[in-house]
Amino acid sequence: MMRYTTYFAAICSVLLISTGCTKEVEIDIPGHVEQLVIDGVIETGQPPIVLISKSKEVYAPTDLNAFLTGFVSGATVTVSDGTNTVELEEICSGTLTQAQQELFAQAIGITPSEIANYDLCAYLSLDPDIFGQVGKTYSLNVEFEGETYTAETRILNPTPLDAVWWKAEDDAPNHGYSWCTLSDPANQFDSYKWEVKRMASDADGNPEDDNFTETYNPIFNDEFFDGLTFDFFYENPFAYSSTLPENERWLFEYEDTVVIKLSKMDRNVYEFMEKKYLQLATAGNPFATPTNIPTNISGGALGIWAGYSPSFDTLICVP
Amino acid sequence: MRGLFLLLVLVSFNVLSQDMSTVSGTVTNGRNGETVIGAKVYIPSIRKGTITNNYGFYSLTVPSGVYEVEFRVTGMKTEKDSIDLTSDVLYDKEIGSDTQLIDEVVVTAKGDDNTKSAQLGQIDLDIDEIKTIPAFMGEVDIIKTIQLLPGVSSAAEGGQGFYVRGGGPDQNLVLLDEAVVYNAAHLFGFFSVFNADAVKSVSLIKGGMPANFGGRMSSVLEVNMNEGNYKHLKIKGGIGAISSRFTVEAPIKKDRGSFIVSGRRTYIDLIMRAAIPSTSPFAGSSYYFYDLNLKLNYRLSKKDKIYLSSYYGKDEFRFGNAEDDFDVAMPWGNAIAAFRWNHIFNGRLFMNVSGTFTDYLFSFGSKQDEFRFELKSGIRDWGSKVDFTYLPGQRHKLKWGAHYTYHTFTPTSVSASQEDVVFDTGLAQKLFSHESALYFLDEFDITDKLRVNAGLRYSMFHHVGPFKRYIKGDISTPDSIITYNEGDLIQFYHGLEPRVSMRWMLPDASSIKAGYSYNYQYVHLTSLSAVSLPTDIWFPTTSIAKPQVGWQGSVGYFRNFLKNQYETSVEVYYKDMNNLIEYKEGALPSDNVNDNTDNLLTFGKGWSYGIEFFVRRTYGNLTGWIGYTWSKTERVFETLNNGEPFPAKYDRRHDFSAVMTYKLNDRWTFSSAFIYATGNTLTLPTSWYVQDQDLLFTYGQRNSTRMAPYHRLDVSAILHSKPYQQKIDPTTGESMQVKKRFKSNWVFSIYNVYNRANPYFLYVDNDGDFLDGNFEISVKQVTLFPIIPSITWNFEF
Repeated sequence: MMRYTTYFAAICSVLLISTGCTKEVEIDIPGHVEQLVIDGVIETGQPPIVLISKSKEVYAPTDLNAFLTGFVSGATVTVSDGTNTVELEEICSGTLTQAQQELFAQAIGITPSEIANYDLCAYLSLDPDIFGQVGKTYSLNVEFEGETYTAETRILNPTPLDAVWWKAEDDAPNHGYSWCTLSDPANQFDSYKWEVKRMASDADGNPEDDNFTETYNPIFNDEFFDGLTFDFFYENPFAYSSTLPENERWLFEYEDTVVIKLSKMDRNVYEFMEKKYLQLATAGNPFATPTNIPTNISGGALGIWAGYSPSFDTLICVP
Repeated sequence: MRGLFLLLVLVSFNVLSQDMSTVSGTVTNGRNGETVIGAKVYIPSIRKGTITNNYGFYSLTVPSGVYEVEFRVTGMKTEKDSIDLTSDVLYDKEIGSDTQLIDEVVVTAKGDDNTKSAQLGQIDLDIDEIKTIPAFMGEVDIIKTIQLLPGVSSAAEGGQGFYVRGGGPDQNLVLLDEAVVYNAAHLFGFFSVFNADAVKSVSLIKGGMPANFGGRMSSVLEVNMNEGNYKHLKIKGGIGAISSRFTVEAPIKKDRGSFIVSGRRTYIDLIMRAAIPSTSPFAGSSYYFYDLNLKLNYRLSKKDKIYLSSYYGKDEFRFGNAEDDFDVAMPWGNAIAAFRWNHIFNGRLFMNVSGTFTDYLFSFGSKQDEFRFELKSGIRDWGSKVDFTYLPGQRHKLKWGAHYTYHTFTPTSVSASQEDVVFDTGLAQKLFSHESALYFLDEFDITDKLRVNAGLRYSMFHHVGPFKRYIKGDISTPDSIITYNEGDLIQFYHGLEPRVSMRWMLPDASSIKAGYSYNYQYVHLTSLSAVSLPTDIWFPTTSIAKPQVGWQGSVGYFRNFLKNQYETSVEVYYKDMNNLIEYKEGALPSDNVNDNTDNLLTFGKGWSYGIEFFVRRTYGNLTGWIGYTWSKTERVFETLNNGEPFPAKYDRRHDFSAVMTYKLNDRWTFSSAFIYATGNTLTLPTSWYVQDQDLLFTYGQRNSTRMAPYHRLDVSAILHSKPYQQKIDPTTGESMQVKKRFKSNWVFSIYNVYNRANPYFLYVDNDGDFLDGNFEISVKQVTLFPIIPSITWNFEF
């Protein structure tokens, strides 16, 4: 759902930055405190994966090395579903099979080929007993440098789409948005995350996309449509290049095949995600309030312990 | 205490027991017939005097006798009339005349009101003085002028929001002919809604607010519109860099009634239309504003006069991106009207009855493909008040009255649809309330040296239905709703507001003044941004958002030099503010769908203290002022900044301004304005981290970063057309100088002469990609206005 404040802030900011003079300045920004960052996820049918790093001062180096060496090891991480409690293993990328590397790469957000260049460590368990199951609440416990951090997340019942289809635009007959019908459950808070992955192969015969990609503004909740059945569309996040003709940007092409992943999440995860995307849209903008992103992790850490229940649909872009 | 009261009664009785007579009436300007505000009526032989009120009315009670009475108006020749005051006299005075030649005028100094008045922190500005000060893009601007005064600061470069002694922009009572103005800004705050051609006088009270004003905690800005020419048709206007103005004023009936109509419109949209090619995806994006002032006045009798004032102004902003089929329309504006009736019961009792209407509406509509979204926010007031002024003797000036306002607030009303599906955005939330007050004050000369202005205001606020109160549950508890029907009393607040100020005259045209005021404020302004924007939302007091309550104490030393040519003052103040509001961290105005706006707010308190130095010259060819303020303003909110105090966003340790106007001769006037201020505070990210391949920031202490200092010099030169022309007297055949009816002037101004890159805001920019090894975080400063020359041509005939 569009956020008018985000729009307004963005418009004002664009106008002012484009009409005003902008220059880089060195200014004292006091107040940095190093905090542990826990980025954990558990999905239906998937193992829990937790990455742990530390926050950096704003002027700290931001090269790839700084990012990839920012992950910490030596933490004790356990996940419990109330019945099973499993300590996650600290697994480094160099020791993983190719399939595991792909999973790991997806969690970190880089390609499997790049992960081979770094010995990155994460915490995960391949014990099927602790793989995500719908309806279960998962507790996370992290102990590091004498501190304990805890969080809970729940994997909710998924809400699959009723239908998906592709519709060509009037001014671009071979291009169109992905359309769908959603029946939102009534009288409860529901929140959704929309991601897509293209299924075509590249010239080498490899899948065009390794990971699912979030669309622009991928998070929404049902505050406006609780209990309604309605049609809506989403754009193609891969088709934003300025080299494309203007009327083809953000559209899927005729005969594209994509998998749509629509995930449900609990309210705490939604609030993290909502504020995260708000911050990404407005960070530093004087027309918006500075937004610290809330967390569901207690103990003073940043980040999120997120449970998702995705449902998948395959869209073949033909009329 | 009891003894002091007895003394006061005895002194009063002593004064009243003498054989006294009263001279009263209205002072008007002989050139146009308009009433004169602040004209001094003075009897030198007994050193007694008074000044006219906002309606030009005066009343002076003195021992019976025959006196020579002086009528003084700044910038005009003092006139003296002998008046027989052996009995009460109604004496209307017309001062100056249209035929008076300029070089005959002996310009008078402003007088010693600043030292003699018991009022602290009041500054009156003459509109002609404002018009000579260098103006941004040639647009004469009242708000920007008062931002140059000590104790008053702006939020950001060019902004209209003004902050008085650490108070927020919502704590200023802005009145246009007694009607409240909620948003006094055009163009996102860069220009004022007050068209200088339609304005007669400006007065700012920043401390020691008298009891006849209320509803705000920090200041009163009174703007009075011109009445229109009672003598003859007059047309004036101007063509500037971004807008043009046109004003017509004329008598309805000579010396009985008049009207003025004044309009202004920008042509930024025309420039944008020319600059954006029709093939551009942004074609159709535009912005303009316009406003219209209208005022009618009529003297029904020597004792009755009616006024009808109105203002209508609107900003229209449109932004479109055809590529994304994205369109935003954003209109906002004010509609204001005031009807007033003055009645003089007798020379000692004056009454004003007013009915006012204020409507402020902001709308934001967007369309992207088939998705439509609209948000509206606004406030509508119906107000009425009656005020009496009674002058029972030489030493007392009593005022009492009653004020009432019916508020309708629409904090945020949202609607959304996607093709045929209309989304549930909850009910349009409106809040209804009654605000009322009774007051009484007495300005009392206890002795010749000691004057006290003591008053008491009793204010009340009723929040009434219809209303839905959403009580938010946590994750496991559903929300619940309490429904109030029309007229149901939801919450009632009331309180006494004592106000007192006093002046003690010292030798050498100097005085010491002290003041204390306690104020309730029943409206709040919620703001997300660091600058004042039309998206700021006015919100009333509710059961959750309690009224703002505060007090201010101030002490000042005032001294004039060289027969009042120079006014100087030093004032110190302390201000305490409670029940201030901010949005909870991460909350947004649009989050009030199926919720109340006050559930998104958090509450705290603030304080401010400082010292102000002011030197002003109002007499002679060189006029202007120098002001310096040292101040500190802090806030504390339990749920923000870990409950620790933090500087307000407009906290400024140092604020200096120097405004000079030099009249070289009848044709050339030069002026300059220099400003230096400590940089504004802001909250920047202190740390970054990565989550799911996105770079995220954490923010540390609120407003802990300070921008670079702000300083700027503006200059202007005004070239007037020749005021006279040579003519041959048909009877004598001699050549003579005759005043020209058509007058014009060119205003050449340069804003930011030395092209200082002042920070408007800073932001943390991140660019590049981690994986490509070119990722960078940097702090960028945005500067809005470089050196800007402008030319304006004004005319009148």
